[in-house]
Amino acid sequence: MILYLARRLLAVTGVLVAVAAVTFTIFYVLPSDPAAAACGKACSVERLAAIRAHMGLDQPLWRQFADFVTGIFTGRTMGSGRYALHCAFPCLGYSYENSEAVWDLLMDRLPVSASLALGASVLWLALGLGAGVTAALRKDTLTDRALMTGAVAAASLPVYFTSMMLIYGLIRTAGLLPYPQYVPLTGDPVHWASNLLLPWLALAVLYAAMYARQSRSSMIETMAEPYIRTARAKGLPRRTVVVKHGLRAGMTPVLTLFGMDLGGLLAGAVITESIFGLPGIGRLFYGALSTGDQPVILGVTLLAAAFIVVANLAVDLLYAVVDPRVRY
Amino acid sequence: MNKRTGTALTAVTAAAIALGPTGCSVPQQPAHGEDRAAVREGTVIGGTPRKGGTLTVLSDQDFTHLDPARNWVMNAMDFGTRLLYRTLVTYKAAPGKQGSELTPDLATGLGTPSADARTWTFHLRQGVKYEDGSPVTAQDVKYNVERSFSPDLPGGADYAARYLAGAEGYRGPAEGKHLDSVRTPDDRTIVFELRKPFAEFPYATVMPTFAPVPQARDKGPQYDNRPFSSGPYKIESYARGKKLVLVRNDHWDPATDDVRKAYPDRIVVVMGLKGGQIDDRLTESRGADASAVSWSALRPESGAKVLPDAEVRQRLIAESTNCTDMVQMHTGRAPFDDVRVRRAVQYALDRDAVLTASGGPAFNEPSTAYMPASLFGGKQPDTLGIPVAGDTEKARRLLKEAGKPGGFATSMTVSTGDKGRAEAIQQSLAKAGIKVTIETVDPSAFYATIGDTANRTDLVYTGWCPDYPSGSTFLPFVFDGRFIKERGNSGNHSLFRDDATMRRMDEIAAMTDTGEAVRAWRQLDGEILAAAPAVPVLVRRWPLVLGSNIAGAYGHPSFGGQLDYATAGLKDPAKSRG
Repeated sequence: MILYLARRLLAVTGVLVAVAAVTFTIFYVLPSDPAAAACGKACSVERLAAIRAHMGLDQPLWRQFADFVTGIFTGRTMGSGRYALHCAFPCLGYSYENSEAVWDLLMDRLPVSASLALGASVLWLALGLGAGVTAALRKDTLTDRALMTGAVAAASLPVYFTSMMLIYGLIRTAGLLPYPQYVPLTGDPVHWASNLLLPWLALAVLYAAMYARQSRSSMIETMAEPYIRTARAKGLPRRTVVVKHGLRAGMTPVLTLFGMDLGGLLAGAVITESIFGLPGIGRLFYGALSTGDQPVILGVTLLAAAFIVVANLAVDLLYAVVDPRVRY
Repeated sequence: MNKRTGTALTAVTAAAIALGPTGCSVPQQPAHGEDRAAVREGTVIGGTPRKGGTLTVLSDQDFTHLDPARNWVMNAMDFGTRLLYRTLVTYKAAPGKQGSELTPDLATGLGTPSADARTWTFHLRQGVKYEDGSPVTAQDVKYNVERSFSPDLPGGADYAARYLAGAEGYRGPAEGKHLDSVRTPDDRTIVFELRKPFAEFPYATVMPTFAPVPQARDKGPQYDNRPFSSGPYKIESYARGKKLVLVRNDHWDPATDDVRKAYPDRIVVVMGLKGGQIDDRLTESRGADASAVSWSALRPESGAKVLPDAEVRQRLIAESTNCTDMVQMHTGRAPFDDVRVRRAVQYALDRDAVLTASGGPAFNEPSTAYMPASLFGGKQPDTLGIPVAGDTEKARRLLKEAGKPGGFATSMTVSTGDKGRAEAIQQSLAKAGIKVTIETVDPSAFYATIGDTANRTDLVYTGWCPDYPSGSTFLPFVFDGRFIKERGNSGNHSLFRDDATMRRMDEIAAMTDTGEAVRAWRQLDGEILAAAPAVPVLVRRWPLVLGSNIAGAYGHPSFGGQLDYATAGLKDPAKSRG
């Protein structure tokens, strides 16, 4: 188990370094020039060169990358003289756009994206698993067909369409809810939830549909296993058979899916955050992308990669807990 | 993240980006409408505000820079200098023509020049204080001017760099070096030594470069996130990209300030909202939104909802941005090295069609000169007399004379937000036989793409805004051949290099009689127009819908049409607590 964990953690680090290297190279070969963008109009050649040197862009690629990676582990000092700044561990550099430490920006936005992802995931797990398991147990009945038709319909709706419809219907026309504006959970939980309700719904509709389909087929398969028949033959109550024997084993593929989805969403739901004006990591990423703010793009990319690989690892470890047949 | 996201959201941020790095590029402000008479211009909306309450600003973006050494985007300069810091001189807080008149701010007058206009002296007012109650000194103004040279603090206006004597190679105060050409004989006197005569220097001192920053408060690049206030408000909190909260600076004394009214108690800027939603919220004007204004201009889709509604139209302002959109032609290579071909484009282009694609006459005006109307005393002349819908016949004749009777094929680079306008241009030029291929570039890469003079397309669609109401901040930037750069070229995208024009520009710049200079710039504009390096297309307005509780509001003509934050406030402050 420990050996397994060590091997996996090593692989995680490798993936992250590779992601950083690829992102770094992409920016290096792109035609954009962050120094020119920072300098503004009518920028003289000398000033441009001074700014480029100050940003460290006159260094060779490998040097810039080495500085970046070292900074993550040990922190580094940027700038000189009166303006020297120590960027502490884990240093992801400073935003070109607003001079904030990228790590601080990410940590500032994470609660928003986490609120969105966790709230939505509770909703979609409840809806998706409920519908999927119900449909599986009533396979080929009218209920099954109705649920699955609904799921196909919901899965086909792009999230921006659902979002727009929700905004139009519940906010603009009915005036039932305010235009979403993020309020921290610690400040005012009721306000927090009421502002996030629509974004949660918009995301949950899409994911719930996928989870319903996945959990249905998985449950049907599990319920046909010989050990379920044995359990029934022992005279166990139906509830115990379904929940304790069927559901636990049937949930492993759903768990895999959930790990990936949650990991991805924690690092920001670009479309949903943008449409609902939530200042999360997705919105930060989109803004950085459109202004060519390389340190922020790199930071978000790394964080997203980290969430996904760690979530995958967590899921693999959880298998052993959920499914008694799995051992490491 | 994926392709779908990109397309769906590009339009949203187009405005943000266009205003971003290159301070003075034309804002990507599309609009829609029918009736020019419907637009309120030059009047104050909502009467005189009452003191108190919270004014909310709904924004789809963050400020590019609030650090006064770096702030060089029209609407952010308005916000910064009206609320957070004072400059030596500023613009009057008044709509229409009066708004382009100067008035002393930190200084007691508009500056005293030496006989040759190379030495300028300003005396500071007594009693101007920072948010901690300490007095504003001449040394602090000098210090911020020096900061603007620092490579750590890029993005700001470069007037100090261009005009101060002995500034070559200066890299700012971070290493302990100071500029000898800015002298402070005492705490309230500041003297600038220029390297050449500059009669318009007081206009340059409106720039935030000439706002005070005390050395003890300077935190280098981090100062951007917490500028120290000398204005009527100070920063209570600023979460970049999320929210900025301003509260009163209790040490600001209205007796020292003729410009700022400071009606609201608090000003809250909520950032990162979706543009279309901001328009909807302000159109509806429900609850606390009644006390809100929009940061960015109205979007084209929203124009159709706003203009037909008489009530909402009452709350719409649309001052001119005073930026001219142009098609600039590569005069350095065939076929555009032939003036007849360039004139053919001037005649073929249907400005009326572009106007329609750009939201109609309510939100734009067709342009008949390079410099916007504000530099012509209110109205552009029409020296060429080309019909607004173009003259295809004349264009064909010109092409025939140039030896291109069958027309030719060329290409034009446009920023994503200008695609509709570009298509209108494409259609009208096609009628004269000029086949244009449009190359759309993402706003973030637009200026880098067209600034690469060797590899760019023949035509580019871009624009220019004057920094202050003088031809000297327009024509030299756009048509002086000495500013052309191989890469990172800006302004002169026609690559126009004409000796007579450049000589004339130097002569006008050296004039000490301002009236004579004004007339000379206007005449030169017409002369360049006849040489046809570019086609002036339109001048956009900056339409803003205000919440129904907003008062004292107008678009400021010298700040790109942005709401004048010096005077905006609320009709009923009690309503702002929603």
